Formats: sequence, structure tokens, C-alpha cells
Amino acid sequence: MTVRPPTLRDKRRYLLVRVDPPGVPLDPKELYYAISDAVTSVWGDAMAAIIVQAVICVEGRYAIIRCRRGTEGELSIALSTVTLLRDTRIALRIIAASGTIDSLRDRMQPAIRNPPANANEAPVPEYRFCGKEYVPVHCDGQKVDVIEKGFKNTSRLFLTTEDLETLNATTIPDGI
Amino acid sequence: MKITDAAVCPFPNGDSSVRRFALEAAALGLDSLVAIDTPSATYGSVVVRNGVFLRKAGMKDVINQVKRGKDPSSVISVQAGDAGFNRGVVGLRGVHILRGVHAADKNAFDHVTAKMAADNRVAIDIDLSVLIAARGVTRQRAIQRYRDVLVLQRRFEFPLTLSSYARSVLDLRASREISGLCSLVGMDMYDVEKAFSGVDIVTATPEPSVRVVE
Repeated sequence: MTVRPPTLRDKRRYLLVRVDPPGVPLDPKELYYAISDAVTSVWGDAMAAIIVQAVICVEGRYAIIRCRRGTEGELSIALSTVTLLRDTRIALRIIAASGTIDSLRDRMQPAIRNPPANANEAPVPEYRFCGKEYVPVHCDGQKVDVIEKGFKNTSRLFLTTEDLETLNATTIPDGI
Repeated sequence: MKITDAAVCPFPNGDSSVRRFALEAAALGLDSLVAIDTPSATYGSVVVRNGVFLRKAGMKDVINQVKRGKDPSSVISVQAGDAGFNRGVVGLRGVHILRGVHAADKNAFDHVTAKMAADNRVAIDIDLSVLIAARGVTRQRAIQRYRDVLVLQRRFEFPLTLSSYARSVLDLRASREISGLCSLVGMDMYDVEKAFSGVDIVTATPEPSVRVVE
């Protein structure tokens, strides 16, 4: 089949989304299925066929998602209902929409695209509260994500540096 | 206009501290939060108000809890029950928000309750977590019920509030996403803006009906 000339092709739009929390391994196919499920659930099969959503690429914690021009609103509503990827809780934060992929690549954080080489060599501090030990898994400015130590029943807590300072200064058994 | 999320549940009810909620809320374009069972405070530019949520309580319990409420800045909300209970709650001085209308009986929130809510300035809450996380019939029923509430709201003009019931920062949504989700239940931009400031409307000191002019 011959390729259609540009004037006869559908106009597309691209959405740049950030996947929270950081550190979740992203598989484009699984992300596509999660988004497709959300679009079909909110808008139905007929509208999903008009939106024609697709995951173009995944880089770090960013993904570029394609849709037909004029359906960005519907797609963004559907994206806000994506809460699970496999069994991991996620949230998709829409950063920007554009007509070209190149302009969206510029919006990705450069630090994420080129991570520092010695980032993981610093000693990892440990925190103890509510009778459990936690280790930080991600720090970004004031935001600190900690995860329960051990490999069973690990639950991620979303805290701030101020919370951890408070915890180190005083023992608060049941509150942060 | 203040953009308020009328219910979040920080640690220990959820997995995120109230400070982290405030940080994320600021990044998502929210100005204030109502945090259930958390003291009022201001973190950066985000105002956090204490929220009291009375669930599955009888009428006597609600009256006692409302009387016992010490913090005047607290936002007191009650989970909806049957029609009689809802009328009683809406008529009670000190109750600010009636929550969970989508989960109550079909006739639990009728035109009489709507009129009382408008007269007493009690807001009806729209739970976004159902629109976000639920699928299939549950979400369809919630949308149907909220559309019904909106018909009454346009007639009687009682306040509305928008709540994410976020137990984690991952459950918070940006103001633009909330507007999009509200469009599913038939709210336009004007309705959403009014609903964002619903908490301020119901907690503001009422203007006296009679003013003394000297």
C-alpha cells in the first residue's frame, strides 16, 4: 500500500506525560494497555476509535502519547483516570501538548535524560518511625520518598525533608 | 477565587504527609486543602484546613460532634444517609458539607433537601475518586447521580465542593484535570470555578439578614 501524501494524512497531537512516582519501571506496551483501558472505560469503543491513542516513546519517567488532533481534551480526561500500571500505583501528570515530538523532547528534564554517573554511590541514610525502618528511594528538592526496609510488604511513603528532620528530632509514634 | 480540594487524607490515614500534600497541591495549581483529622496550618502558599468527617453516625452523634467542635476553622462534613437523615443534617447549624450523595439511596437527596441546603448554605460534595478510580456500573451510577444533583443545584443554587479523597499524593489531580473530570458530570467552567470556592462559601460568616443602621 502506498503511503498517503501529507495533505491526506490525519493530523496528530502529542502529549508529554510524567509518570509518578519516580522509579517505576515503564514498559511502553503495558502503559499503552493501561491508557487504552482508561480511554475505553471513560469514552467507549466508538470514541476510542476516534482518539486513536498510542504510546510513541518512553524515556526515563516521561512518555509521549499520540492522539488525533482535536481529541486532546478527551485523552487528557482519560489519562487522569489511569491509576494502575500492572499492580503498581501510578499517576500520569500531563506536562505539555504539541504538534511535534521534537518540541516535547525539549520539555523533558535534562537531568532525567542524562542521569549523573555517581548518583547511587552516596551512603543511604535510614529512618525509623512507627516501629518500622525506612530507607529513602527518591529525593527531589524537599520531596523524599521512603520505602519500608525489607522485601516483603514494602509500602512507599511520600514525605518531605522537614518531616524527616522532625522525625529525627523527636519520636512521634503515630503521626508525621 | 481559591482552588480548594475539599478532602484529602494525610498520614496516618494515607501514605503521604500533610506537608508533602501541600507541596504537590501547590505544583498542581491548588491553593488550599481540607485535610481530614489534621490540624490547620499553612505550608508555603497552600492553606490546610482541619476537616472533620462524620461517617455512619446517627443524628444524635452528629449533633454531639458538631456541638463539641472546638476549632472554628474546622470544616465539618457528614456522610449522607437516607432522606430523613439528610434533611436533619442539612438543617443542622455547624454542618458545612454533605458527602457521599452518590452512594446514598436514589431518593435520599430530593428537592426539599436541596432547598434546605441552599437556605442553610450546606454544600453537597462531588467525590472525584469515584470518577477516577471506579469502573463500569459504579462510575456510571455516580455520574448519573451527580447529574441529578446538578439539576437541583441549578434550580436551588446550593454550594458544591470538589473532593479527591486522596490518600496519597498520586491521587491528587491538577485543577485542569479536575475541570475535565467535572465535565463528565455536565459541569461547565463556571460551575467548576464556583465549586472550587465552595468551602470558602460555606465557612464564611453569614451576612445578617437585618442590618442596624445608626
